[in-house]
Amino acid sequence: MAEANDPEVGAHARGIWYALHRAEDALLTLLVAALVLIAGGQIVLRAGFNSGVDWTEPLLRCLVLWVAMFGAMLAAREDKHLGVDAIPRMLSGLPRIVVRLLAQGFAAVVCGLLAWYSVGLVMLEHESQTIAFAQVPTWVTQLAMPLGFGVMAIRFALRAVGVRRNAASGTTGTAEGA
Amino acid sequence: MIWLIALALLLLAFAGAPFFALIAAVALLGLNASDYDLIIAAAEFFRITDVPVLIAIPLFTIAGYLLGESKAPQRLVRLTDALFGWMPGGLAVVALMSCALFTAFTGATGVTIVALGAVLFPALIQARYPTKFTLGLITTSGSLGLLFAPSLPLIIYAVVAQQLNTTPPVGVDEMFRAGLLPGLMMLVLLAIYSVWSGRGRARARVKFSGREALAAAWDARWEIPLPVVVVGGIYGGWFAPSEAAAVTALYVSITVLAIRREISLSKVPQVCRDAMVLVGAILVILGCALALTNYLIDADIPGQLFEVIREHISSRFVFLLVLIVFLLFFGMLLEGYPAIIILVPIVLPIAMRYGVDPVHFGIMFLAILQLGFFTPPLGMNLFISSYRFNRPVLEVVRACVPFFFIVLFCVLVITFWPWLSLVLVR
Repeated sequence: MAEANDPEVGAHARGIWYALHRAEDALLTLLVAALVLIAGGQIVLRAGFNSGVDWTEPLLRCLVLWVAMFGAMLAAREDKHLGVDAIPRMLSGLPRIVVRLLAQGFAAVVCGLLAWYSVGLVMLEHESQTIAFAQVPTWVTQLAMPLGFGVMAIRFALRAVGVRRNAASGTTGTAEGA
Repeated sequence: MIWLIALALLLLAFAGAPFFALIAAVALLGLNASDYDLIIAAAEFFRITDVPVLIAIPLFTIAGYLLGESKAPQRLVRLTDALFGWMPGGLAVVALMSCALFTAFTGATGVTIVALGAVLFPALIQARYPTKFTLGLITTSGSLGLLFAPSLPLIIYAVVAQQLNTTPPVGVDEMFRAGLLPGLMMLVLLAIYSVWSGRGRARARVKFSGREALAAAWDARWEIPLPVVVVGGIYGGWFAPSEAAAVTALYVSITVLAIRREISLSKVPQVCRDAMVLVGAILVILGCALALTNYLIDADIPGQLFEVIREHISSRFVFLLVLIVFLLFFGMLLEGYPAIIILVPIVLPIAMRYGVDPVHFGIMFLAILQLGFFTPPLGMNLFISSYRFNRPVLEVVRACVPFFFIVLFCVLVITFWPWLSLVLVR
């Protein structure tokens, strides 16, 4: 499309990527801070004041899921998921493109499937209306899964077709959109 | 058909497909073949929230990354140097001990080589240790400490083994206690070798100075309570592992960010991101493996494998030898955490049919993994060292040879002498 070469549109699209990445980073930092403060605070409360809130334990376990899914989303963004990367690193040119298409495309499909079945799980839980902790229903805590796997599916699909310029060497971990 | 799928997945693995996607694919295919509704795969993944001890993983990881970014590694080296630097080969012993302590807190993720290597490498070279020895020592030390509490591999092994409902069960506490003596054995043997190869250089080193020891201890006053309280608390049974992790994370955050202020607050998102990328990568593999483990048990895959293996291997001795080679290869290929999550559900049930205790198996497994980290040609730490110290990989490999055989000896002792792992447990 013609717009794709328009520098204005390109800069705008990059701006959106940048904003999305910063939002991911900010949310992750908040989740980690919450995890550290609640987990640590719970111990201080229990040891120092012999008191505590009885739903912190399930809350913490949900936070672990959310931290894990956000971390996995970022790992997909920075191409840092664990795998055997010796062979793709040795290739160049067309073989590299084909191998990347296969491996990353496969990951995109699997993530898509996991996102789909996660939606199914959320809907099942939504019907049964169980409570995870305090007033929060279980299905809300599960939303991290369709979100995380969905975003990862998109990331892998983009990398499969080579949208990111530094897709194969994205080990620098910097904001590509900046 | 099954072989075709297996071949396709193997090719995808070597094409660089992420482990978690491969595991999820096997789980989905297996569950589908057994006529399950595939929503069960998502439900099994969600069981991540049913394992309380998993809280320890993000907490220890963030604490480790914060420590690694702070000046704690320098202070740790200064303190151990003040205490042990006067010995012949003292600085090498300092390197071993500080790396072991640091790895116990950060997991063997290469952080040790990057954070401590930066301090130790120039110090060792300056003290006239040969480059080759220094390179081998640091690369080996990068995974030393894996067997000491509160290292993440010990926790993850216990979590994975618990999914298999073994008798006797495997607790995190038991793994912590079981790793102590084997870990000390590795540390002592490596220290003896280092002292032996450092003989003759001893006189160039400093004498013990009480003043410097006190100054170094004062310098590290915020870090010293950490191993004492956490490691002491765990081995003394005051803390559950997740509680120890919570205390560590909160304490490190406060001391590094508020008291010492060695990491500016604007850098915190970056550190969180680096740490949680690792946590996410590990936990997603674990979640997918939860879906797979149930299928493996349902279909009794380990049982069928055992039948096949038993036709060829009848003695436990031969089985253990074959196992070492097998695990060394896959440990090198799968780089630590994925190896634990992928291999334990398949191999542990088989090993138990040969009469191996699950706790002993865990220590043996992790000791082999530790070796795998610097086993050529693919051991991860070889590449980290090569990159970090700007040396050809082949030079690093050669430098590691004597250390490799020492750790291999330890692996053999650990494997064929279960008492060493089990005496503090049972």
